[in-house]
Amino acid sequence: MVDRMADDPEVAALVAGALRDEDEAARELVRRLYPFVARMVRAHRPKRAAEEDLCQMIFIKIFQNLGQYSGTVPLEHWISRIAINTCLNQIAAEKARPELRHADLSEEQVAVLENLAQTSDEIAPDQRLASRDLVSRLLDTLKPSERLVIDLQYLQGKTVDEIRAITGWSAALVKVRAFRARQKLKAQLMRLEEGHARG
Amino acid sequence: MREADLQRLLRAAAEAPDGPPAEMPFAFETRVLANWRARRLGEGAELWKFARIFRRVALSAVVVTVCAGSAAWWQFQADDDLDSPTANAYAIADTVIDAGTWQ
Repeated sequence: MVDRMADDPEVAALVAGALRDEDEAARELVRRLYPFVARMVRAHRPKRAAEEDLCQMIFIKIFQNLGQYSGTVPLEHWISRIAINTCLNQIAAEKARPELRHADLSEEQVAVLENLAQTSDEIAPDQRLASRDLVSRLLDTLKPSERLVIDLQYLQGKTVDEIRAITGWSAALVKVRAFRARQKLKAQLMRLEEGHARG
Repeated sequence: MREADLQRLLRAAAEAPDGPPAEMPFAFETRVLANWRARRLGEGAELWKFARIFRRVALSAVVVTVCAGSAAWWQFQADDDLDSPTANAYAIADTVIDAGTWQ
């Protein structure tokens, strides 16, 4: 939705209106951007923060910095950056990264784990939700930056260039962080499999 | 655990259907805008406070400069014999400071 907003003159007019302190333009901008911001928050929300509070915090930052938006980068990249940085700061403030144990997994997640261990076939469509839950739990054990790079690259399917634009990291840093994150995920999955084998 | 297994898991997670689209809470935009404006006013108030302090400091500096200038003018007008150090309070102060510095 916001991808289409990037070159949307209507959105550009709303941004200009909000900058002129026009109430209705600012309200409409919030309404238009809300689904995109909420999706970012859902993907990167720290455990103890409420989605609505985080969205509100992000929107206030967007409005506070709207005057600095040059329009040279797509609006969604600019907003992504604010949203992601806000979420990362919150995650960093929470600090705790719990270790995932086999006993914490649901039956469906254990079934995904078995599937991974026993076959090399693609995971069945009916196990995709459980796969996403399992990945989400695994991501909770990573550092915020590693979590972010896996989410952007593998779950949202962004290219290295797009991740660079969103995060401000260099291409090499994106690759290094993705590599380290994958190593950690593999190690975590191995521990879970060992836990499963022990019963 | 092989790299391929992790990639399979990540692919499956990426292909999982999205949840229902996020619905904006009631009056969310009103809360956001009210909060933003309150903060902006707060920032404006801070700037205004700083400007007031700056103006007072500047005014005090002008008053001190005018007083010092007037005193100097009065001193020069009152004493004809400016060459004599004992007749010029500024010259006396200058001599004392010089003496203190070079001791």
